[in-house]
Amino acid sequence: MISFSQVTKRYPGGHEALSGVSLAIEQGELVFLTGHSGAGKSTLLKLIAAIERPTSGVVSVSGQNVSRLSRRAVPYLRRNIGLVFQDHKLLFDRSVIDNVVLPLDIAGFDRRESLKRARAVIDKVGLLNREKANPVSLSGGEQQRLCIARALVSRPALLLADEPTGNLDAGYAADIMAMFRDFHQVGTTLVIATHDERAITALGGRTLHLDHGRIDEGAA
Amino acid sequence: MIGGWMRHHKHALGAALHRLRIQAFATLLTALAMGVAISLPSGLYLGLSNLSRVAGELPAQPEISLFLDAGASAEQKQAIAARLKQPDIAQARFVPKDEALATLSASQDLADITAGLTENPLPDAWIVRPQATSRDALVHISDSLRKLPGIAEIHLDSQWAERLQAALAIGRTGVWLLAGLFAIALIAISGNAIRAQVLARRDEILVSQLIGATDRHIRRPFLYLGALQGLFGGLAAGGVLAVAGILLREPVEHLAVLYGSTFHLLPPDGAEIAVVLGLTTLFGWLGAWLSVTRSLHQVEAAR
Repeated sequence: MISFSQVTKRYPGGHEALSGVSLAIEQGELVFLTGHSGAGKSTLLKLIAAIERPTSGVVSVSGQNVSRLSRRAVPYLRRNIGLVFQDHKLLFDRSVIDNVVLPLDIAGFDRRESLKRARAVIDKVGLLNREKANPVSLSGGEQQRLCIARALVSRPALLLADEPTGNLDAGYAADIMAMFRDFHQVGTTLVIATHDERAITALGGRTLHLDHGRIDEGAA
Repeated sequence: MIGGWMRHHKHALGAALHRLRIQAFATLLTALAMGVAISLPSGLYLGLSNLSRVAGELPAQPEISLFLDAGASAEQKQAIAARLKQPDIAQARFVPKDEALATLSASQDLADITAGLTENPLPDAWIVRPQATSRDALVHISDSLRKLPGIAEIHLDSQWAERLQAALAIGRTGVWLLAGLFAIALIAISGNAIRAQVLARRDEILVSQLIGATDRHIRRPFLYLGALQGLFGGLAAGGVLAVAGILLREPVEHLAVLYGSTFHLLPPDGAEIAVVLGLTTLFGWLGAWLSVTRSLHQVEAAR
């Protein structure tokens, strides 16, 4: 589903975040990206979602060459990818349900159908009694679940999560990881960048270790 | 597909209206700035069209006066009348000398003089309005008329009319010039207002881009916002002009009465109002488009 071939990403200023990375991730796989801060985990995820472009090499997702994707085609690629951010990137000028419904609005779904789907996802992440609340009033763990709900509402085949449990205490983190396991079981491809060793051992799956922008693949 | 497109537009229009409503004060200020800017060229236009109407009531079109020789024969008079029926003459009116004298006597200052006359010294005359209005064509026609036998004198009375038309032409050019300048001002005002909106909604734009919004989708509510701002600006200009019209009506009518005229100010007609509102909407949209396109690239670059 995802393949990197000799991918290098150098940021302006000369910092090389990824150096000649090659990897392949199959459909339905659960993959953990590990490594110290600045090892290139976030950059790797950003390249998959075309948030960044590689300096050299080829990134392809579902057979599409993402590195050469035109600006106009990028939004359609992103509609098939759920993104979960460490800082949630929620919008605080609208309610929980309006945050979740946003991807469906953007894709042009019928409003009533969208709300139904949003409610179902909110229920799945356990926030149904908070749907009218402003995300500001949610705890860190709840905000992360809301972010996950927004990523999942358009039923993407691929979910990318950057440090999804980075700011959470152990109890919340375990909740979130359990949720990811459920999605994996229904066939979603997941790529999760994390420091959370416990989560990795709990969920199993493959681990890609990044060290100074190079892949060092180890068994889980 | 069409349903989705309609939904996008409905959604964007709703979002724009919502934004205008919750920022009512900013909306009002922008509409006022636009309204004042637009009211200048449209006010000048209105003033000029009213002035043209004054000019139209007067014999603004150039006239040629033909004075017949007192000894002209009946055949000569017939030949002249026949010549004046030709297509290069728009209108010709015969003024017999008796009628000319009567008109003269009716005017108070000259009544004493005409009363002292023992016989009518005035010639028969034709007042001719040619089809053409250009200076050269008028001279040409008056020259050809002068050659007719039985004509004593020809007077080409076009100078003042030409001057008035020239002054009005300058005024009209001025209107277009001002309209062009203020169209630019309108684009700038709209662009600036929309830029502030884009910056205020930076987070929403960034998140929307990350979850698959096209540029078009992000731009759409801002374009509606700009177009609506422009429309409100046009309406504000209408308000400014209406107030100006109410304030000016009495003094203008008073002045007209002093000139013995029943002239009064006419408001713009429906088509003119529609054109102004359409143009302000268009320029509001255009300013928004320029601004949001530029700001989108900035937001992206700053990510």
